[in-house]
Amino acid sequence: MKPPATPIDTLSNDAANLYKHLHPVLILSLYAYQFSSIVADPVPALTTTLIPLAVLQIAYAAICLPPIGSSNGVGGGEKKKPGERRKAAPGKLEVSFNSKIVPAFLSLISSTLPGIPVLALSLLLFGAPVTTHHAETLLAAAHISFLATLPLVYVHGVDGGRWREIVAAQVHIDEVFGCTLGTLVGAWLGAVPIPLDWDREWQKWPITIVTGAYIGFTVGKVLGGTILKGKTVSFE
Amino acid sequence: MDQGEPLPSFEGLAAAFAKAKAEKEREEASGLRARTGDAAAANKRGEVHFKALHLIVIAFFTFLLILHVLGIYLFATGFLLTRLVLDETSECALPPIDISDVYSPGSAETGCWHPKSFEKAVVILVDALRYDFTVPFQATDSEQAQHFHNALPVLYDTAAKHPHQAFLRPFIADPPTATLQRLKGLTTGTLPTFVDAGSNFAGDAIDEDNLVAQLRNASKRIVHLGDDTWHALWPGYFEPNLTRPYDSFNVWDLHTVDNGVTEHIFPLLHPANTSKWDVIIGHYLGVDHAGHRYGPDHPAMAAKLSQMDEVFHRMIEQIDDSTLLVVMGDHGMDVKGDHGGESDDEIQAALWMYSKQPFFGRTSPDYATPPATAKERPVAQIDLVPTLSLLLGLPIPFNNLGAPIEEAFIGAQGSNYENLANVNRLAAAQIHRYQDAYAQARGLDPSTRASALALWDAANDAWDSIKKSKKSATSDWKTTFSAFSAYQSETLSICRALWARFDIPRMINGVLILVSALIVLGIYARGLDGEHAELTAPLLSIGAAGSVIGLLNGLGLTYLYTSLSLDQALSFGAAFGGIAGVGMGFWYIRRRIILPVPTSIWGWASVIFTLALSAGFAANSWTIWEDEILLHFLATFGVLAVASSFRQKNTIDRALGCYHSILFIVLTRLASFSRLCREEQIPYCKSTYYASATSSTSATWQLAIPYVVAFTLPNLIRSYFKGTRNHQGSAILWLDFALRFGLLLSAAYWTLDAADDGEWYPGYGDEIKTTKRLIAQLTLAIALAFGYSTFSWAKPFLNIETKKKESYESASFVVDDSGTSSITILGYANVHGSRYAILITMWFLAISLVEKPMGAGAIGILTWQIFSLFEIIDTNKLSNTSIGPVVLGLLGSFHYFKTGHQGTLSSIQWESAFIPLQTIRYPWTPFIVVLNTFGAQILCAIAVPAIVLWKQPPKKKSLLSDVAKAVATHVLFYAVINLATTMWTGHLRRHLMLYRIFCPRFMMGAVVLVVVDIVSILIAIGGARTSFLSVAEVFGWSDVGVARTATREREM
Repeated sequence: MKPPATPIDTLSNDAANLYKHLHPVLILSLYAYQFSSIVADPVPALTTTLIPLAVLQIAYAAICLPPIGSSNGVGGGEKKKPGERRKAAPGKLEVSFNSKIVPAFLSLISSTLPGIPVLALSLLLFGAPVTTHHAETLLAAAHISFLATLPLVYVHGVDGGRWREIVAAQVHIDEVFGCTLGTLVGAWLGAVPIPLDWDREWQKWPITIVTGAYIGFTVGKVLGGTILKGKTVSFE
Repeated sequence: MDQGEPLPSFEGLAAAFAKAKAEKEREEASGLRARTGDAAAANKRGEVHFKALHLIVIAFFTFLLILHVLGIYLFATGFLLTRLVLDETSECALPPIDISDVYSPGSAETGCWHPKSFEKAVVILVDALRYDFTVPFQATDSEQAQHFHNALPVLYDTAAKHPHQAFLRPFIADPPTATLQRLKGLTTGTLPTFVDAGSNFAGDAIDEDNLVAQLRNASKRIVHLGDDTWHALWPGYFEPNLTRPYDSFNVWDLHTVDNGVTEHIFPLLHPANTSKWDVIIGHYLGVDHAGHRYGPDHPAMAAKLSQMDEVFHRMIEQIDDSTLLVVMGDHGMDVKGDHGGESDDEIQAALWMYSKQPFFGRTSPDYATPPATAKERPVAQIDLVPTLSLLLGLPIPFNNLGAPIEEAFIGAQGSNYENLANVNRLAAAQIHRYQDAYAQARGLDPSTRASALALWDAANDAWDSIKKSKKSATSDWKTTFSAFSAYQSETLSICRALWARFDIPRMINGVLILVSALIVLGIYARGLDGEHAELTAPLLSIGAAGSVIGLLNGLGLTYLYTSLSLDQALSFGAAFGGIAGVGMGFWYIRRRIILPVPTSIWGWASVIFTLALSAGFAANSWTIWEDEILLHFLATFGVLAVASSFRQKNTIDRALGCYHSILFIVLTRLASFSRLCREEQIPYCKSTYYASATSSTSATWQLAIPYVVAFTLPNLIRSYFKGTRNHQGSAILWLDFALRFGLLLSAAYWTLDAADDGEWYPGYGDEIKTTKRLIAQLTLAIALAFGYSTFSWAKPFLNIETKKKESYESASFVVDDSGTSSITILGYANVHGSRYAILITMWFLAISLVEKPMGAGAIGILTWQIFSLFEIIDTNKLSNTSIGPVVLGLLGSFHYFKTGHQGTLSSIQWESAFIPLQTIRYPWTPFIVVLNTFGAQILCAIAVPAIVLWKQPPKKKSLLSDVAKAVATHVLFYAVINLATTMWTGHLRRHLMLYRIFCPRFMMGAVVLVVVDIVSILIAIGGARTSFLSVAEVFGWSDVGVARTATREREM
């Protein structure tokens, strides 16, 4: 079995350094801005929010993250021996629009196509309504998928072995995997207030889940990029 | 570990093994070492040692059970409300206040305290007569008429058409809405306390002053017909030759009681017989039973109510001028037809009174039509007591808190406020006398009833001023009436608060015991390093000694301080002595104690699941939605298991682990479709457990579920045996034939039951009843009698094969491969697990029978999940962690809800007692009801040892210790839940939702803990003994089950 992937460093050019701090703020602001309309009518509001969310996530991936197969990314197209090249000089990296934006779009497609059905199914298994609220469940899955898996696919690609490690939570925690774990844990915790008898509009399906996912994304990104960086999830 | 050298206690399989080996050896002409004598002695020692250790483990868990029982007992007796019962009685000649200027008291002939209005009374109690059964219903777009609507119009019609002859009002019960409590309330006029709730089916004679006793004192001849609960409450009070009691518990029988009452009541109403009695009490049970059996929205209910309608029509015709006719319900029923709690539907009964002569009046013309809903103008059920007493010329029972009902005293003109003021003064004065006596007996602080006393003085002033002024206007009487009535209602509300009295020291003692027992259990389960079985002995001996010392201390203390109650001192002394003893025991073995803090993600998951669930019981919402929370946690475990499975290096482990984890999640979700919603979950929950939300019978399609289970589940279980080649010997007979046959029988039972319920074959009812009961008994006999014989006498599910050296079986064990052929033990890989698992399938069969068809499906899924869980635990190598036993706890709790139960008293399926039996028989009836109610938890508790036995090598050391550890962890889960619900209930004792939500959940948690304790001791650990003995018979004792001290020391 190959060793787990090394933690990913964000690119270190100025734009990346700026945007990586700006990104969580933008994501949360977007959600906060849309929150009242989501509460008022979840389906259209969640649908329209997906577009700016996708733009922000693609921008984040393209500006801050090393794409799959790049020098300071992890494994991928060409297999490298572990530890073979750890320290490419990122400053010199030519930022080509095509080599960044196109993979980001591809990541969007390849993460959401399997991601949304799998996540929607998981939501159902965790107790989402089966006979009603299908649009809401799908949209919640889409938001979680955009948040949790898009950057992940951008940096890790779709390699089977790598994804087995990801599902097993064996990859090192970094900003990107932190986003994933944070989003999932956040969505999990988002179920907590649903049963409470507070009679608030925002308690309806799936608002708390999506809210939890957004907050979890931010927290996971920050923690994953700082204090948890390089750690692994241990089951033992 | 030596190479599977057979130890010569040869029998059965062992003999086969030896024979095969001997043959092989003969063939290869190699020598066999003979150490028979030595080995036999060692073997015997091993067996004795194992049996002793096993006994100690059993004793230790029994010790824990006692601690739990003592803690729960002390808390429950302090928490469940108590009221001092005064034995004073009211006397005819002694009115509570001076009434010489109004009436001369003392004659039962004309009326004791007030002139009587009726000579005789016929009191009909229609059990569970909900108010909306009696009022007309207009279908609207939003709401369609249900079967119970408009089926009983006579009460409303007479009250609306002849308001002077009859009135109908909502009649509100004080919870708990169980018949026995209600009869007490309806005759004594006092408030019930929760502590009586459990005695519904046992019955106690009433020792407080009450209506029936007053009737008898006045030499009235009382005839009772119907529900025999009355005879438990008033033994010997009724006219023996006219009275006809009927068994009240058989809720499946809709007609026997009702037909009996009707048959005997009408001859008595005949003018020729009216001189034989003074009061008839008729108690109809059909409506209640129709509710329990079918729910209110069912044709059977409509038929029952129409039958009642006809009965009342006839009564109205036959009753004579001097007789009062009263029809009332003692409580209502919820949407499924059950009762016991305090929801609106359960407390809203109906009260109707009728007189041939114009007698009843209304204080306002608006009140001429009966209230359209139970929210308008309700009367309390205790109000019946002073009303009936005064109408029949009896003294008001001493403990009464009710007020006279205005319709009965205002006069037909609706203007006799003088009379109304009079009777309210009498009732208020009696309440005042009672309150004085109560305050004196209990030593109450007068300030608690200062507000009521002020009202009392004001009312008396109003009365005196009327008396002084000679000339009195109606408005003055009205004021006086209101003043006395204000005193009554204020006193009532004070009493309600007062009798929510808790014995805080007792409750704290109980909680202290539970907390300490939890710590002991926690350290024992997760904080001991090394052999549990070996370490149990010192803990137990010092603990037991401590208990005895504590008990004696408690005894001594009660002699020194007589104010201490004996039971409290003894329980607390024994429990704390024991805990202190175990504490010393822990100190003695302190080097073996590690801090029980989780170290792995699995440990943390166990802790988080348990603690999050426990914390949630502090909020009513989370308590209400417990089933969904459990689903969430179980799915979470499944996802963690998927992640963990992906980490497995072995491809087979990875694939199997993933498969079983995903299967586990999917099955959990599948089971979650079986729902029985509690009232608070509506409208966010749709019941699927029965045919409809308002029924308690299964839909026809649901009858197919047990058949599906019967055809699929034995195969599924078999596949878990076949995977390790353990499908051998008795396992074939049991799984393929007995289990399947039993499941088919249980499916047939439920089909016959539906045929009986729906009267598919009219005229064959009795035959069907007899057959279905026989089938049920046969199923239980297969499950438990045949099952236990198989389990006790079966050899381990192994097969010995001698074959040419070619193929290796992963699941088999090759004894010796030095020659040309080898001896292969098929099934070696899972000897312990497969041997023990038979016990799970036996109880699965028994529990399937006693659950409704939907529940049988849930229990089938549960069994499948249990086996899946074994595989998850095995492939992820988690048998040593706490997650297995904790997930079994979650599973048990989850499927409790999936088998049609809720954390409410009304969800107890009492009727399950009649699945195998026609009448109540101890101890079988409670056994069946417990098996039905806690079937899921019981099955999971039985499965716990298999978590650590599954696919363990036969000679693995210290398996008994592993079993003890796993069982302790499982019990720990329930102990935490119990402690949490206990503490929250104690803490929230003034919460609005106490009786609806927190108290039932506390009772459930406590009962589940005790049940799981008992099941763990008797069935799980007890069964493990059988399983170990059987395996050791083949593989020898030296290593099985326990590691002997000597062996371990050598290794160290």
